[in-house]
Formats: sequence, C-alpha cells, structure tokens
Amino acid sequence: MKKFTKSVLLASVAAAMMGGATIAKAADSVNVAFFLEWATPNQISKVEKAYDDAMGVKVNWTDFKTGTAMTEAMLAGDIDIAYSQGLSPFVTAIQQGHPLKMVGVAMEYPANNCYIKNGLGIDASNASELEGKTVAVPLNTMADFAFRSYMKHFNVDVSTMNIVDQEPADGAKSLADGNVDMACIFGGNSSKAAAEVGTAIMTDAQKVEAGIGSFDVVSVTEDFATKNPGLLRTFMEVTAEANASWTGDAAQLAIVAKDAGMSPADTKSQMDTFIFLSPEEQKAKYFGSEGVAVSAAESLGLMFKKPGAWNVDKKIAKVITGEYLD
Amino acid sequence: MLDWLSDNRAIVAAIIILLLVGAFLWSIAYGIRQTRLREKDQVFGDPERTVGGWFWAICGVSVLLLAWFYFSWGVARAFFPQAANELCQVGKLHEAVSPVTSSLAIKSRYSKSKTLLVRNSKQLESLRARLPVEAFTVSDVSRVKIVMSNTQRLINMMATPDFVGAETMREIEEVNVGFAGITNALATAPEQWMASEKALAQPSWGTSEPEIPLLPISARGAKFDTLATEAAILSKKFLRIRNLSPPAKSLIDETKMMIAALKKSPSANDKDLKLVKARTTYMKAVDRIFKRIDDGKIFPASVMAGMQSSVQTMLYQLEEAKGGLSYVETLFFPGGDIIKSRTQCTEQGPGRWLPKPTDVIATFFALANPDLENGGGYKGTTLLWWKWLPVAHVVAILIPDGLVDLLPGSYGELDESGGFQPNYKDWMLSLAQGDVYMGAIPMLDGHIWDSLFRVLVAMFFGITLGVPLGIYMGVSRFCKSFFDPLIELYRPVPPLAWAPLILTIFGIQDDGKIFLLFMVAFAIMVISARTGATGAQLSKIRASHSLGASDQQILRYVILPNALPEIMTGVRISIGVCWGTLVAAEMLAGTTGVGFIENVARTVSDYELIWVTILIMGLLGLIFDLMMRWAIARYIPWRGKG
Repeated sequence: MKKFTKSVLLASVAAAMMGGATIAKAADSVNVAFFLEWATPNQISKVEKAYDDAMGVKVNWTDFKTGTAMTEAMLAGDIDIAYSQGLSPFVTAIQQGHPLKMVGVAMEYPANNCYIKNGLGIDASNASELEGKTVAVPLNTMADFAFRSYMKHFNVDVSTMNIVDQEPADGAKSLADGNVDMACIFGGNSSKAAAEVGTAIMTDAQKVEAGIGSFDVVSVTEDFATKNPGLLRTFMEVTAEANASWTGDAAQLAIVAKDAGMSPADTKSQMDTFIFLSPEEQKAKYFGSEGVAVSAAESLGLMFKKPGAWNVDKKIAKVITGEYLD
Repeated sequence: MLDWLSDNRAIVAAIIILLLVGAFLWSIAYGIRQTRLREKDQVFGDPERTVGGWFWAICGVSVLLLAWFYFSWGVARAFFPQAANELCQVGKLHEAVSPVTSSLAIKSRYSKSKTLLVRNSKQLESLRARLPVEAFTVSDVSRVKIVMSNTQRLINMMATPDFVGAETMREIEEVNVGFAGITNALATAPEQWMASEKALAQPSWGTSEPEIPLLPISARGAKFDTLATEAAILSKKFLRIRNLSPPAKSLIDETKMMIAALKKSPSANDKDLKLVKARTTYMKAVDRIFKRIDDGKIFPASVMAGMQSSVQTMLYQLEEAKGGLSYVETLFFPGGDIIKSRTQCTEQGPGRWLPKPTDVIATFFALANPDLENGGGYKGTTLLWWKWLPVAHVVAILIPDGLVDLLPGSYGELDESGGFQPNYKDWMLSLAQGDVYMGAIPMLDGHIWDSLFRVLVAMFFGITLGVPLGIYMGVSRFCKSFFDPLIELYRPVPPLAWAPLILTIFGIQDDGKIFLLFMVAFAIMVISARTGATGAQLSKIRASHSLGASDQQILRYVILPNALPEIMTGVRISIGVCWGTLVAAEMLAGTTGVGFIENVARTVSDYELIWVTILIMGLLGLIFDLMMRWAIARYIPWRGKG
C-alpha cells in the first residue's frame, strides 16, 4: 500500500513538473533574437533555413529594438539565444544578476562616433577645448561607452561637460540646431544626419590605433546552454560557416539586405565596417586567458556601475566562455 | 541610524507589516461601527454621505501596502529571512542535475533519446528524398545510400538494449547508485551538516549587491549544498557516458571513411559549378546528421528506465526534505522562483521587477542624500536640496547680450604687452552674461525641484492664458468661433507627437519642456473655463441684468463664480496630466528631473530606481490634488449647490 501511495505521489510530482515546464517546448524549437537594420552574413542561413536543417529543430527569429529588450525576453523565457546583443545591455544584465552567458562574438565594428559641430574649430588635436561644452549622449549605451573612451583617450574631464541624455535621432537634430556642441550617435540614419553638420572626433583608423572598438555578443540563457549544449554548438557552427562563405557578391547582398530591411547600398556600406571573426580568431582574441571580452566587459561595467562592488569574485569572467565555439 | 535600519531591513519590514495588519483590522472594525452609527439618518445619493471616512483611506492604503509587501516577497523576507538562502541551495541541486533531467522524460513529455531518434530519423528520411542524383556518379549514389542506411542502422542500434555494452551499463548503474545515495542522504536529518563561518558572515538577503547569499546559512541548506556538489559530479559522469558498443564503433568508423571519401571523390560533372555546389551541400547535411549520432547520446528506453526512476525519486525526496520550506515557497513566493545561475542566486518573478517596499525606501534615501561626493543624488545632481543662486544669473536672464552690442564704442582689445584691459562695454557684456558677482540668494535645487519648477511654470501660464480665453470663448461669439478650430485641432494630439518639433524650435533648455507641458495644461484650462462659463444659469444672468448690472459686473459676479468649480476641476486634471507628460518632456533632452531619472533607469532595468520615480511622481501629484481639494472646499463653498 505504501509503495502504491508513493508511486501515485511520484506520478503527480512528474505531472506537476510537466505542467509547469516551459522547457518542454524549447527542445522542439529554438528562439533567436536579432536586430533589423544590422546586416550579418548568417541572415542568408536564416532565410535559407540552414539553421533549422543543421539543428534539426525549428528556429524562430524575432527582431528587437534594443538589447535591453532582448535581455527582458530572455528572462521571460521567450528567447534562448540573442544574436548580436550589444555588450552594454549584456554587462548590465550580468550586473543585475541575471542568468545569461556570453558564448561568442557576433561581430567587431568601429566604436560609435561622436560628432563635433562643424565651425567650432575643435578636432582631435585640440579636444581638450570640449571641456565646458554641451554633449548629447544616449546614456548607458555603447555610444556612451565610446564617448567616455574618447574623452579618456584625449584626457578631457567629463565632469566639466554638460551632458544631455538624448536618443540618437534627437541628438543629431540638436547638433544640427546648434543646441549641443557634440553628439554621440549610433544607427545608420542618425549618423548620416549628424555627419552632415559635424565631424567624427576620430576616424576608424585612429580608433583602432587608440584601441577603442566595439563588439556585439552572442548571449544565451544559462538554462538553454546547460540543457542543449549540442544545439548551441551547432548554432555557432552554422554561424561560422555563414561568415566563412560570405563573399559580399550582389546575390548574397540582396538576400541580406532584404532580410535586414535596408537598401543593398546601405547594407554594403554597413557591412564594410563589420569584421566577422572565425571561431579560432574569436577564441584567440576574446576568450583566451587574457581575452579582450572579459577586460572590455569589466571596464564597461565599471563605467556604468551602480554603487557597490558588483564584480565580486570576477563574476563577469565566469559567464564569458568560448567553449561552445568548438 | 540609517545604516542600522538598512542592515536590519527584515526586522523593520516585519514591524511595519504587523502594524499594517493591525491598522487594516482596526480600520475595518472602526469603519463598520461608524457606518452603523450613521446608517439611519442618511439618504442614499446625498453627497454629504461621502464626507469624512479617513479610516477607510487607512484601510485602502494598508491593503495596497500589504499587497505590495506580499507580491514583492517582502513578507517572505521579513518573516523567513533564511528561506531565500535555503531555496538557493535547492536551486543549486536543481541546477546540478539539470543536464541529467534534460535528457530524461522529466519536465518534458519525451526523453531526449526519443526526441533525437525521431527527429534524426525524420531528417534522414527527408534527406534521402531529395538526393540530387545528377550531382553524383552512379557508384557514388549507391555509396551515399549506404551511408544513409548505415546512419539509420546506427540510430536503431543505439536504441536497442541488446547492443548496449557492458561498460556503458556499468557506468549508468554507477550514476544510478550515486543518485540513490543522494536520495538516502536527503532523507536523513540535517543535523550532521553545518553552516560554515564564512557563510554566516555573508550579508543577509537583500542588503548587498548579490541579493541572495550564496553559501548555505542553515543546516538544511548546508545539506542541499553538499548534495548539490555530489550531484554535479554525477551529472558530469553522466555526460561522459557514450552508448558506443563495439559493433556500433566499427559501423561509425566504416561510415566515417565512406563520408570522407565521398567528400573528396569527383562528381558526375565537375564542370557544372551548380552541381558541385549541390553535391557539397548535400554531403555536408549528411555529415551533419551523422555527427549528431556518432557521439552516442541515444540510449534505449529500458536502459534509462532505472535512471529515470532514481532521479525522479531523488527529486521527490528533495520535495520531502524541504519540509516546511515548501509551504513557505508556495505561500510567500508567489509567481516566481529563486534561480541559481552560474555565479549567484537571483529572484526571478515579481521579486525581480517589483522591489520590496523597504528596498525602495532605502534607494530613495540613498538618492535623497545631498552629499554628492559620497554617492548621493543621481548623475551629479541632488534629489531635492538647496544651493546659492548668484543674483548675477538672474540679472543675466533679464539683459539680452545683443543689447550690449548696441551700446556705443567697441569692445576692449589686447594691448602691446599682451595684457587685456576691459573697457566699460566689456563690463556690460560680462554683466549681461552673468559673470559679475552680485551676491547670492538661497534657492531650491535638485531633480524634484527641476521637475516641479517646469510643471509649476507651465501651469502658471496655462492658467493665466487659458482661463481668460476660455471664459471669453464662453461669452463672445467672435472668440468662440475664432479660437475653436485652433484649440480643438491641437488638443487631441498626444504631447509626444510634438516632441521632435519642440526640440527643433526651443532647443534643449527648460523652455522647450515647459512649452510642451504648457500646451497640455492650456487646452484643458480653456475647455474647462469655457464649459464653466457657458454653464452659468441663464436665470441668474437675466436676474442680474434686470437689476442693472453692467457687462463687467455680470462677468465678475455671476459668470466667474459659476465657472470657478469647473476651472478648479480643470486645474486638478491638468496638473495630473502635466506630471504624466513630464517623462516624455524630459526625454527630449535629459539633464535633470524625475522623468530623466526614470528614462536612464529604464535603460539598465533598475527596477528599484524606476519605482522610486513612479512613487515620487505619484506622491507629488497626490499632494497637489489634496491641496487643490482643500482650496476648493475652502474658497468655493458654493460648488455643487448652484
């Protein structure tokens, strides 16, 4: 009799677990977050269903506006993999203690530009004159990170500046109106508008020289990584294959442009600034013992940190791993 | 004092919760008594009936706060300060076995083996169907077919109990025994385990950055923690098990070689690039499925049955071992879980996005601390404080710089020795630009003041311009017809739609934000004043007219008093809407203000800060409304009695 009660209990525990299990569906389909207007070679694989074929499950792609929204969706269990999430929302999520992991670098790209209003007579050579000026910055974004990196590079005291929190589109407009002296911008259209009336503080080549760069990460929920390491590896493999077979010819460009929702010309100029690294390059540069990923995340976290020590026990290093690139 | 309160949040919260429960019960009892007392001499519908009743307000507020405490898991933290830590240890155990559970039919309908078998067989089937025969030579086609059937055979072989090697069986049994051991350990009393000194020295739940202390602080927690470590080792062992019997291995080697050869051998028509591509793509797909199989992660159901039951029993025993903790979890952690991730335990659920009331208060005090050097304020500005405002700055606003240019003479120039002697025009310019020291007056400062200032100025202009216009629209045909289209056209447009225009026209200073708020307030004031003016009873106007009142007198003594109640309602509504529009206004170009704090907090999902700003705006709105209600009752006693 006792055994019977126990087995009934066992069955009910199993049933309760199944009822509450959202994981049940995750094994049959994988949900991936991506950005529109952010062209990547793997969009060809996405369109041609190469991911579905290789992983053997249905891969659903959802586009997002911001990396923070990607984090929220991952926490809510609706997204398993965020492809090309910005470094800054990822680090912020880790600071808040969310169970996410960085498993790869989607692409490298030059740091966001800060445009100085033409006619002020300020450029890289006399950047210290920016002290006391007004700057439009979308706070807590990669553009903010770039801005602070530039100012550090030029030894400009940020605390003397009047920093205005503005969306890139608004920042570009304020720069054109002359309400701000410098605007830090991300996004194609806003950058174009800002470049009309201002000049980037550093060229792409100078940025590389100064070691100021950006990269987008591939982040996953810890749950997905522990439960489906095989699927994750295949995902990274297909992505690497797509990057390797990218030639940038018209046919490929047309597919990516259509999927990214941009004109082929804009797509081309955007992708010309991107660098897609092979798994070996990623491992060597980002995930080694002195990998760039950890140090960049640390310095970014330090800039935006809330009061209090957040990086106790090298927390950030523990959630950055290249093991799924093999 | 503040530090002590902050460190002992649980106790403080417990006292507050008890007080709230007391207030709730008392207010209900008192309210019922009062209602009974008055029941007999009141008529339903009489406005007098709603007068008073502050005890019901206490009741409402305490219900609200109690609900907040409950759903933010504040009650759990106040009365079961160890629960989160113990649930964290349970989470560790769940995390440790998750690689095993995810491959069994636990928390899912099918076991992973079954899913893999079905999925891969199906894919092989579809791959077989679309074999591009023209891309391969005849002999290659048959070889490809052999590879496919080999792969299928491999799948079936792995799922057959007869083919499972003795070594594999032994390894699986070892893991089974391990889990049985954990089950037994779970059943024993937790006395033999102890919390380490390091664990006890951890900051308690919610008082430090990693919200929940990671190391076990109770005997029960220590037990789960130790067993979680053991389970993690078992999981690792399990992940290393491969179902590769000697026949399977030889089949794999054979097929591998065939695939490698097929990848190299020439296709039927090497000239046709399309065919070559089709061939490589196809072989890649075949290889991929094969690689998914050859790591031997498919097991027969009967072999895994033992593990299925041992793990399930362990999880069942875990629920048992939680004892009273499981009741606490169900009752006091509504809508979410404590999840153990790679480096820490976190609250996932309402505990995450609805911060506990005490935490919000602590964040508020950290924000309200005027000592900017030591982490007070937000982004370099205090929340609400005061500063010395140089009189020169006020003077500078009054004198436009351009006026100085119009003065006779020219600005001073550099002399021969490189020095600069400013003349009177330079002095005037520095006066116009506020660079001359003329003393200073104390002035309010900070985010709240900045927001308040914007709202108040907007309200001031909204009332002084909107009310007269509204009243004249109520009494004059010209005013009504002339302004009506203008007002009605812009009124329904949401303020956010104006934002980009306002940014271009006014720039990033306060005037743009104030104008946006003004537009909102103005429309409401015009409409309410107009409704009030047209609502004056005709008999009153006729009566005063026949008594010889002039137009001015009718306006001053009949229409205005009659319109006042409507106007005051308009003020109440527009202040509320102004606070609502503030976030949008301060998004235009954020430098300071409550809305600015919220906008920045949103980008980092800082829920405590977001709730602080929500509460600040709500409370300020409430205070204004209470003041308005008091003013209405005091100065317009005829309201509702006309």
